[in-house]
Amino acid sequence: MNIHEYQAKKILSQYGIEIPLGKIAYTPGEAKRMAGEVSKRGPWMLKSQIQSGARKRGYFLEKEAGRGGGIRLIKRRREILSAAEQMLGSTLVTMQTGPKGKEVSRIYVEAYNKVKKIFYAGLVIDRMLPALTLLIAEVGSEDIATMALNTPEKILKVRLDLHKGASAKQIREIMEFLQLSPKSQRSLARFVKGLHRAFIDYDATMIEINPVGVRRNGNLIALDAKMSFDENALYRHPEITRLEDEYEEEDREVQAHKFGFSYCDFDGNIGCIVNGDGLAMAALDSLRRKGSGMACFLNVKGGVDKDKIASGIKIIMTNPRVEGILIDILGGFLRCNLIAEGIVSAAAEVGLNVPLVVRFEGTNKDEAKEILEHSKLPIVIAEDMETAVDTLIQAVEESD
Amino acid sequence: MSILVDKNTKVLCQGITGTQATFHIRRSLDYGTNVVGGVTPGKGGKQHLGLPVFNTVKEAVEATGANASVMYVPARFVRDAVKEVVEAELDLVVCIADGVPLRDMMEIKAMLKGSKTKLIGPNTPGIITPGAARLGIFPENIHTPGRIGIVSRSSTLTYEAVIETQKAGQGQSTVIGLGDDMLIGIDFVDAMEAFMADDETDAVVLIGQLGGSFEEYAAKYYKSLVNKKPVVCFVAGDAVPFGHKIGYAGDIITKGHISVQDKKDAMSDAGMIVTNRISEIHEVLQKIVG
Repeated sequence: MNIHEYQAKKILSQYGIEIPLGKIAYTPGEAKRMAGEVSKRGPWMLKSQIQSGARKRGYFLEKEAGRGGGIRLIKRRREILSAAEQMLGSTLVTMQTGPKGKEVSRIYVEAYNKVKKIFYAGLVIDRMLPALTLLIAEVGSEDIATMALNTPEKILKVRLDLHKGASAKQIREIMEFLQLSPKSQRSLARFVKGLHRAFIDYDATMIEINPVGVRRNGNLIALDAKMSFDENALYRHPEITRLEDEYEEEDREVQAHKFGFSYCDFDGNIGCIVNGDGLAMAALDSLRRKGSGMACFLNVKGGVDKDKIASGIKIIMTNPRVEGILIDILGGFLRCNLIAEGIVSAAAEVGLNVPLVVRFEGTNKDEAKEILEHSKLPIVIAEDMETAVDTLIQAVEESD
Repeated sequence: MSILVDKNTKVLCQGITGTQATFHIRRSLDYGTNVVGGVTPGKGGKQHLGLPVFNTVKEAVEATGANASVMYVPARFVRDAVKEVVEAELDLVVCIADGVPLRDMMEIKAMLKGSKTKLIGPNTPGIITPGAARLGIFPENIHTPGRIGIVSRSSTLTYEAVIETQKAGQGQSTVIGLGDDMLIGIDFVDAMEAFMADDETDAVVLIGQLGGSFEEYAAKYYKSLVNKKPVVCFVAGDAVPFGHKIGYAGDIITKGHISVQDKKDAMSDAGMIVTNRISEIHEVLQKIVG
């Protein structure tokens, strides 16, 4: 789960990390008022709050939003209102949002801070070690996206102790790598400690500050902040769960999450219901190889509640882009008969108007097949995935 | 012989009185697994499924001599449950739960380091040696004893691989699901080492998927072997598009662009047989064994 920049900054500031003075605004009027509160004479930064990187170099889909990017430096007070009017309610597209972009519902108004140097800092888990890994990079001439792809070896990786964080030696290593002056040392140590503590305390999966600024007095300031959290640990952090911006997620995704399932949209026309990500990937690969494509998939995981399963199946059945449904279940923990019952009850409620091919294997598969045969629904039962995919593609073509 | 578990493995079940555990332990017992007892805190002294129930792993081990545990405990209790197993020095623990917090897994990985316990999972169907022992949630009816080892990161594709060996007229020596999560216990290299050393395994089927570098590590290990058994691989996730992400940190860790193709290339370069679809595995198996 991700949160917005202004929310992440608030958390980090509680851990001793310095941030610019800023206020959130939902309307142009508010933006103007907040600007006055954070700085008398400016300049100001107006920052679109969508959950994506590269907002500055992004562009708005709407002509009225002007040519500026998602993050704008405003020097004159009278320009704030019009810039905020342009940005609020418009759709920002970045390298990370995909072509549809995301609507900007609020902007963060910050006092502009002059810095003499910037760098990139990220804290993640390197799954192969596994270890908490602090990433540090010079981003003066080259941006981090380019470096990540082309020259990842130019990025310093510091393995942090899970409980103790960075050692004094590691802080010196970072000082040297960034060629910071000695007066930054204390601020750097506090900054790294803050990142580490916030990461552990909140069960984060990623904290990224791009960039960190170094002020004239040597102190570090977080000019940006991104935080992602471990969804499996949210039960320990109800205060973070409340920050979830459902607007950032697709409706169907939100619904699926409520039932404990995962849901993902693609650009094809086949809806898939599976009980594992590996199976979803294999189905996606197979559909594409055969010239078709997936519209979406629902992973019901090890679901054991048949009402929830039926609700999940309805999410797929009612998706207007779905022209055919593939259900591929390899029951282990999950029992196939629950899926069959779910299909029957979902079809009774919302109707089954597209071809549906199912393949059951494993726990209780015979009971499952019997349930479907008794239901008299126009469902084809296939013996393996490849046959299921072939049968479905043909049925969809014939129904056109 | 098989690997990690056989008829002589004395199995303990953590969380035995829960609904799912009851369902699956009953099936494991019917399958002939040597389950010797269970643990549910607060229910010590009772009997369940005809087995003695203990309050702690330590007590259970002292009374039964168990050397492996399969746990059906909910994700939030996994860290403490694994800790008990490590302290009791069992050889193996299988964790079925999905949704174990990453921070807990980091702590678990640290606990396992230097201990004698091997962890399979979490978020795994477990391990099964057909005809001998079932620790987990495998649909046992698709398995037959045989000479093909299977190791997979994807739970559901594990079953798919089992069906492929069946189509090839082969059975399985041991089948291991490593688990679908970001952080897992044993990996491909651990499983392959055991299969390479096992007299009763002739070939290995390895099922990888997008994410992490587990397949690259497996390839590197396989390349370094002098005497090797054939390994047939499939890697899922070729057509998975650009995901939803908000920063760059993940890209840096994975060196920017590890794709399924990179994994496949590394594996065929190491001499493994890479198939483009999972349904080709039985054809390859028919050629190399049988």
